[in-house]
Parts: sequence; C-alpha cells; structure tokens
Amino acid sequence: MTVKELRETVKSLLTEGKVDLVIGWGKGTMPGTSTPVFIDTAEKADSLIFDSTCRNNLSVYFTKDRRALAKDDKKIGVLVKGCDSRSLVLNITEKQIDREKVTIIGVPCNGVVDMKKVVGKVDGKEILEFTDDSKKVTVKGREFELTFPLDEVISDSCLTCVRRDAVEYDLFIGEAREPGSDENAYAEVEEFEKLDSEERWERMKQEYSACIRCYACRNVCPSCYCNVCFVDQNDPQWIGKSPEITDTMIFHIIRNLHVAGRCVECGACERACPMDIKLLLLNRKVAKEVRDRFGSITGTGLENKPAMADFKEDENQDFIMG
Amino acid sequence: MIRIEKERIDEFIRALMETWSVYAPARDGKNTLFAPVEDPAGIDHGIFNTDKSPKEIFFPHSEVLFEFEGGEIKKVERDARPIAVWGLRGCDARSLRLLDKVFGSAWQKPDNDMFEDPYWKEKYDDSIIFGTACNEPRSTCFCNWFGAGPHDGAGMDVKVVDTGEAFILDPVSEKGKKYIGSLKGWAEATKKDVTKMKAAAKEADKAMGEVFGMDGIQEKMADLFLKPVWNDIGAKCVNCGACAFICSTCHCFDVQDEGKKGKKGKRIRIWDTCMFPIFTMEASGHNPRDMSKDRLRQRFMHKFSYFINNYDEHLCTGCGRCVIVCPVNLDIREVVREVMACEA
Ligand code: SF4
Ligand code: SF4
Ligand code: SF4
Ligand code: SF4
Repeated sequence: MTVKELRETVKSLLTEGKVDLVIGWGKGTMPGTSTPVFIDTAEKADSLIFDSTCRNNLSVYFTKDRRALAKDDKKIGVLVKGCDSRSLVLNITEKQIDREKVTIIGVPCNGVVDMKKVVGKVDGKEILEFTDDSKKVTVKGREFELTFPLDEVISDSCLTCVRRDAVEYDLFIGEAREPGSDENAYAEVEEFEKLDSEERWERMKQEYSACIRCYACRNVCPSCYCNVCFVDQNDPQWIGKSPEITDTMIFHIIRNLHVAGRCVECGACERACPMDIKLLLLNRKVAKEVRDRFGSITGTGLENKPAMADFKEDENQDFIMG
Repeated sequence: MIRIEKERIDEFIRALMETWSVYAPARDGKNTLFAPVEDPAGIDHGIFNTDKSPKEIFFPHSEVLFEFEGGEIKKVERDARPIAVWGLRGCDARSLRLLDKVFGSAWQKPDNDMFEDPYWKEKYDDSIIFGTACNEPRSTCFCNWFGAGPHDGAGMDVKVVDTGEAFILDPVSEKGKKYIGSLKGWAEATKKDVTKMKAAAKEADKAMGEVFGMDGIQEKMADLFLKPVWNDIGAKCVNCGACAFICSTCHCFDVQDEGKKGKKGKRIRIWDTCMFPIFTMEASGHNPRDMSKDRLRQRFMHKFSYFINNYDEHLCTGCGRCVIVCPVNLDIREVVREVMACEA
C-alpha cells in the first residue's frame, strides 16, 4: 500500500458518493505522532497518512456521544488496522453500530510505534525528527541520529498480535494477510500467572499507583461505552475519587471485568496513558481466560456473540461457585 | 548573584532543608514530578519539564480540608515549615502565580472582595521559588506566546542559571534578594559567569519557535461560541482528563466527604475537570455541557476568554504538557491558530 493509493481510494469513495465521511489518520504535530482526521471532501483526503505512528483505534469514534455518527443517515467510512476492525466487529455484534452504514477500509499494519520505547532508546533525549518504513525507524535529535528495527519499538500489543490485518472489511488497500495462531499468544500472561497471589497483587499495586485517574484509558477504548460510567455516578457513588491505591484499583479491576470478553487487546488504553501504566497485562489475562474457557476470541467474526453475552449448554462452568 | 559550583549543590540544598520543606524534580518509577527532598542526591537536575506539573505541591490532587467526628471538626496538621521549590521552570513559576490570582492574594484589589483560600495561602504565601532557566527549550514549549521566554524570571524569587560548571543564583523578588543576601560562604558570580548567562539566554531564545500573535483572542473566542468551528476542533477529542490533570494551570476541583456519611470522616478537595460529564451534571439530570465538544470548548473558553476577562491573563503558560499527553494529539497551539484564523 502506498499513501497515494490510500488517498485515491478515499477520494473515489467520496466522489462516487459511497461515503459522506471517512475517519482516518493525518500527520501529528510532534515527531512520531499522528492525529485522527475527519475527511468529508476529496481535497481533504490529501492529508491522510498511514504508517507506524497511526496508533489510535478510530473505532472509538462510533461510540459514546459519537454513536449518532453511525446512526443517522450519514454513510461513514473508517480506516482500520487489525485490532481496530475487531473493535468494530465487537460494536456491531453488540448492536451499537449498523454494519450496513459503515464502510470498513482495511490498511496493512506492521505494528504501531510506542514512542515511550523510542524515547527510551535515546535516553530520554528529545526527538526532533521521526521517519519509518515497514521495517525500521530513524530518529534524529540535537546531536544524534539513530536507526533501529521497527519491531524493537512497536507497542507490546503489537508484539503479540496475530491479526494485523482487518478481520472484517469492505475493501482492503493492498493485500490482507491471513491471521496467525492464538495458541502461544499469551507468554507474558503465563509468566505472570507463575507468581503467587501476593506477588501479583504487589506488582499490580506498584504499576497502578502512578494512576492520576484521568480516564484517558477508558475514553479511548471502543469497548467502554456505557452511557454513564460507574465512576461518573454520584448517587449512589460507587467509588472514591482520590487517586488512592484502593479506589484506583477498584476502578481498574471493575473496568477490566466490564470489558471481559469484550477487550480486543488493541492496546489503545496503554498508549493513551499519560503515566505510562502497563494496563494490557490484566486485560490480556482476562482475554486468555475467555479464550481458554469459552473458546472465544473477541471481535473476530460477526457471527460470534461476545462470550459474556452468549450461553452454550456445554460451556465450561466450573468457575461458578456452588 | 552568587555562584554554586556543581559539586557543592547538595551542600546548598542541605542548608535550605534546615528551614524549608524542599521540593525538587525527581523520578518516581516511570514518571518525573516534584517530590519532597529527603536526600539532595536524589534530585535530578537534568530533568526538563516534569511529567506531572508542580501545581500539586500547593494544590494537591486530593487535599484533606478537615476531619470530622460527631459534630466536631478537626483541622489537619501539616508540615509547619515553609515550602521551597527548587528547579521550577519559568512556565511553571508563572503558572503558580496565575493560581495565586485564583486562590491567593495576587488579585486582591481594594474594590473587590475575592475569596482567599486558606489552604493555598498557608503553603504559597511563605514559599520561596528557585526557578531554573531553560537552556534547551523543547519543540513543545511556547512560553514566548505569552510574553515570557526560556530565561524569564517572572514568578520566581531566585532565578537559577546552569552555566555548565556552576549554578548562578540570580535573585528576582524582594524575598529572593533577602534570602541570597543572608547567605554566607558562597562566592559572587564572576564577570565570566555573567557573560555565559547572557550567551545561554540568547541561545535559548533562538531555539524557541516563532511567536504566534494572540491579540484579541478573548473576544474572538466569545464570538465563536456558537459557531460550527467547535465541531471541527472538538471532533477528535475523546474527553479524557489527561490534559487538565497534567496542566500546570487547570485548577477546577470537587469537594467530597469520605468516610461514614455525616458521622466520621474527612472532607477532601480533589481535582476535577470540565472534560468530565459529571462536572456540570445538574440534579435534574440535565447537563448543560452534554456533548464532548461542548466540554472541550469550555476548556479553551476558560483559558483564552473567561480567565482573561477575570484576571487579565491567559490561563496557559505554554509548558507544552498537554501537547505531549493528549492521546489524540489535539494540540492547544493548533486550537489557538484555528480560532484566530476564523472569521467571526
Ligand atoms: S481495554 Fe484497552 S486493549 Fe482492550 S479494547 Fe479497550 S482500549 Fe483496547
Ligand atoms: S490513562 Fe493512565 S493515568 Fe489515566 S486513568 Fe487510565 S491508567 Fe490512570
Ligand atoms: S494548557 Fe497545556 S501548555 Fe498551557 S499551561 Fe496547561 S498543560 Fe501547559
Ligand atoms: S484534548 Fe486530548 S487530553 Fe484533553 S480531553 Fe481531549 S483527548 Fe483528552
């Protein structure tokens, strides 16, 4: 796929009247960043890009108070990586999005860059220029220039991802690759499981203690779309508002369970966190449970209901306390 | 002006710690912030703008106002020593001064009757601010849009300039002059130091991006209030609290009681933000800022319109933190540009 192909495809969709609006990525204001763009004219399509900086999961723009977008008569197109497409599938199976009204445009993903990893590579120095291709990344700063393999700086979620290309699409720019196997996708979770419960708790506490309760993780998540989130209720108030570890953990654990069988492991939450909290581990732990107990991988097929919304007579029930 | 050779900086801080409760840039796990200094060796003098803003020194994320039990109210004791802040950047020093207009005495005029917040005043009024001049501003810095610059001393009591081998302490305020005057055992800055300081200031100025003119922005913002431009600007915002919580000037808060309702517990003041729907949710269930774009607009209205009307300054000092943390790269500088480019 070239950027030109991408732009031309979007332009023709718009001029042929197949869509009224396309949600995609454009160049960001800092090196190594992109920003969501809303393209409603053919001219604007020239601002579209797709590369390893396109880390936002754009499916979020079909949820929360943007839900209306996909409900009124507008025909909307959206660019998706593999994980983003799974979010759309989840929202479609949960009847939040009408499949007919979205034009899903797949783009080939090689993993998105985690800028915190890049900054780590240059000892925290400021990066003034960032360039990438499908295999490597080059960064420049005041007195340095460094090139390294893309795989060394992609997000953790991309390291374990076996569905880099859209699982559901109307058109794909380039050629979609077949998904890999989920068999060994949870190595880091297995490591975590080896710790005893006290060690696990300590590790979680340590990780989450920096949380400032900004809810960026929740707000970028396409699976988190309750009309009123439990943390935003005050009558009754379910949870204390101070950033103290007890309340913070309650927030994270409940959110974790609310997205059980619904999290697509896109890692958007983790990348959004201003405090660099590793949120994915707990999500992936739950995703692994869902895979092992219900044989379900979230958002991989329109015909599959989300695990928690489905019931099969022969399904594993040994976790129910009797 | 005195000079402190770098090898002796810990000695200087240690002396400061005898009378003051000192806060300085430090690393806490993956993030940087202003932390109480226990050992001067733990200060990271090389940190640029800390990830978390220093507003929390004077306006903590969660602050106990008082404790209660039965009908009794108990004041919470805090460290009685005055606060000294070491290593504050110019933008942050000015941010504190803006917050002092809201909570403290900086905006007291004979003809107004502004509320003064005792919790802020007991910390800020007696504090001393050692600010660090920025020799290498970052591409996200835009303090120069607000009439300041990387070597500006506004809001500081003492400006500290790093010349490579030494820190030069240049008193700015009366308080700063008094403190520096009271010190013994430190050499005066030399002519060479002064030359170096001037050169560093010049270099730093050169490294700043171009100033974007913001004249008349408050009226412009007010005129645009109902205009569709906010649909465009607000479209990508996901309405989290990252920008406001990380911001050194955002200061909205909520007050809550924790503990056993009405019986025993504490009343706390906690950061809140106009980005959260519950911030303006009314008891009837109606929310005047119902859509995320309404809430995003509020953040910028406050910074570039209401605050100017009320306090004669922008509620932003160009620290660039929100630019860095926003998960969708909604860059405040772009917002200003878009607003200024708009025909009302
Ligand atoms: S919880 Fe995180 S990883 Fe899971 S779907 Fe939401 S944003 Fe993606
Ligand atoms: S984004 Fe990070 S800091 Fe914000 S609430 Fe989520 S975990 Fe906490
Ligand atoms: S609005 Fe952004 S740049 Fe301005 S003071 Fe706040 S965090 Fe800094
Ligand atoms: S501007 Fe960015 S950081 Fe601020 S609320 Fe919107 S998405 Fe979050």
